[in-house]
Amino acid sequence: MMDLIIIIRPVILLASSILIILAAVGILRFKDDIERVLYARIHILGIADVACILALLVLGEPLLALTYFVLVPFVSHAIANAHYHGEGD
Amino acid sequence: MGLLIVSEYVLMASLAVFSIAAVRIATRKSIGMGLVGISGLSIAIATLLILINRVYGIGFCRDIAYALVLLGPVGTIAFARVLRG
Repeated sequence: MMDLIIIIRPVILLASSILIILAAVGILRFKDDIERVLYARIHILGIADVACILALLVLGEPLLALTYFVLVPFVSHAIANAHYHGEGD
Repeated sequence: MGLLIVSEYVLMASLAVFSIAAVRIATRKSIGMGLVGISGLSIAIATLLILINRVYGIGFCRDIAYALVLLGPVGTIAFARVLRG
């Protein structure tokens, strides 16, 4: 059982790394002139957030991961809502 | 060195790359894009600080990461509230 945990932790950290790299590539890949590109970037940011939450869990910070897990949807909703009502498009 | 240490260093490198991408997004034309970039940057830096705490044993990095995770979203929501009007 301990051997399995020893293997699982680096695998989850590496998976988080891959997700974060993919989020970085995706967040830059969409050009600015695409219509309503902000909502796509908010969604891609959610992927990076979940990867960071998984990494924080593996690194032994469950309180930090849980706190951010609760706060992330509110942040995404607030940004999208502010962009829709405040800036148009 | 073990696989865990290597994966932690790989995660640090990917968080650095993501931080650069987030800063680039923050400089785009709309204000909401700045909010997206800065909130991404804050979570990347918080996770990076936890990694620094584990790899290098710097104790106060954990406290800074806690402050970032709590205060970063609060600031983003407050700014978004002002932007909405």
